[in-house]
Amino acid sequence: MSTQTDTDSRPAIAPAAGAPGAFRGAVAAEWTKLSSVRSTWWTALAGLLVMFASAGQLAIYVANDNTNDDPADDRGIVTVGSVLIDSVEMTQYVVLALGLLAITAEFTSGTIRTTLQCTPSRGRVLLAKAVVTGVVTFVLGLLLGGVGALVARPVLGEWGSAPAAGTIGDIVAVAIYLALIGVLALGLGAALRSAVLTLTALLATLMIVPLSLQEPDIDVLNRIADVFPGVAGGHFLAGDTEPYPSIVGLLLLAGWAGASLLLGRAALRRRDA
Amino acid sequence: MITLRGLTKRFGSTVAVDALTVDIAPGRVTGFLGPNGAGKSTTMRMILGLDRPTAGQALVGGRAYRELRRPLHEVGALLDARAIHPARSGRAHLRAMAHSNGIPIRRVDEVLDTVGLDGRAAAKPGRTLSLGMGQRLGIAGALLGDPPVLMFDEPVNGLDPDGVRWVRQLMRSLADEGRTIFVSSHLMSEMQLTADQLVVIGRGRLLTDAPIGEVIARSTVAVRVRSPHPDGLAALAARLTAAGATVEAADRNELTVVGTTADRVGDLAHELGVRLHELSPHAASLEQAFMELTADSVEYAGGTTEGGQR
Repeated sequence: MSTQTDTDSRPAIAPAAGAPGAFRGAVAAEWTKLSSVRSTWWTALAGLLVMFASAGQLAIYVANDNTNDDPADDRGIVTVGSVLIDSVEMTQYVVLALGLLAITAEFTSGTIRTTLQCTPSRGRVLLAKAVVTGVVTFVLGLLLGGVGALVARPVLGEWGSAPAAGTIGDIVAVAIYLALIGVLALGLGAALRSAVLTLTALLATLMIVPLSLQEPDIDVLNRIADVFPGVAGGHFLAGDTEPYPSIVGLLLLAGWAGASLLLGRAALRRRDA
Repeated sequence: MITLRGLTKRFGSTVAVDALTVDIAPGRVTGFLGPNGAGKSTTMRMILGLDRPTAGQALVGGRAYRELRRPLHEVGALLDARAIHPARSGRAHLRAMAHSNGIPIRRVDEVLDTVGLDGRAAAKPGRTLSLGMGQRLGIAGALLGDPPVLMFDEPVNGLDPDGVRWVRQLMRSLADEGRTIFVSSHLMSEMQLTADQLVVIGRGRLLTDAPIGEVIARSTVAVRVRSPHPDGLAALAARLTAAGATVEAADRNELTVVGTTADRVGDLAHELGVRLHELSPHAASLEQAFMELTADSVEYAGGTTEGGQR
């Protein structure tokens, strides 16, 4: 019976000659979706403004500390990169929104059903979103890093140093950090579905919980805090050697991002859309 | 071709779709009818792999939807016309869909043209689209991959009379091209005009799956009988009652018979030698047929046993 009906049904038009694979198609679709809503561009602009303000403010603090009457807080000459890295603390929450909204907006508007109709493989959908979110937040990260460095340099004046290689390295590190945080937000958003819930969970994992753990300054608790994504990312950005080499910080953060994607995929597979 | 085999969906203790086994064949419009909450949308979502069946399976062209790599070439569906990002234009919405399935972008303009959305309407952000425009956009999305199977959930909702007529013609011509058309509606009159086949469900259960003419014919048809011979008519009434029909005497010369066919009444009258002046079946509308089919399931829904558990 099925052979009969299969021949009965019209043959579908073949995909365009040389059409990209299903995964590339999904990536193109995700990019179209992200770039076709204005909020994406407003978010990027907001990120730039926050970076501008944050880097400027932190650079002013350094200059003030060095020139006030209290020699105890003198920090001497700092690198532009270090100011940049401190500014990421604030700026990352704007960047997080990009990863977050890439999935939670689909649940809010109901377009998730269209998305899953187009690409039924939950893993492929989420991976395509991760690629687009990762690339966009990485490029945005480079831009933010550039803006931060350009702002911090003149404000620091005589108290700042900007070795070319070091500064570029810091900018790239910031971009990598933001890309991984963006993907972490995406995976968590897929699992939790609600933007508010996801943002709360992110604030807790990135800031509140590790800060609370570090507060009493107990060795064991500090060690636990060191595993959290924000702290691990911080060690990576700062190029620390303690408590672990910076590369371990990067791997820990990447692990968090990967784990959140797996969690998101499991939720997408299991739950009805 | 859509194949449902024992398709079942439970939400907690509620059975939304109950062991549905149906084949939806190509080349005709199959109407999907049922009272609100009968499980129509849930069934459609399971066919599209959006909801996971608790048991059984839903296959499209012999395969599960989740296994399809470029599903828009196999199945087109309009589920919820409001499911568009509030800030994204209709055109961008369709472009994203086209990209995902390797469909050439020029096809977006083709389907926009087919559904009658001009450039200005397609450039408007989703939040400004009227329900009718949303329906047209959703239908455009369903047509994008030129699929052999199309599903529409309440497609005429929010359309003006012109739009309604257009959707009717579209479904007809798509079916005539040999495609499988599965369309749900709560408007029985609409089904009467478009559908060839009817699948009726109530409380998630299959109530009927038959050609539309048969559904109407099978339902209670009142037969009016008039005769100039009251005695003969009384004899006829007795025979009909004995045969299980319900007979109501309108007056001495007229009967209304329910539960049999005009043919049968005519045969009996002939047998008894009763002269008739009128023998007219009162064809039930699909609406009546539907009410009858779903009466039990609706009654059941209103019952206290089930309602009390909620």
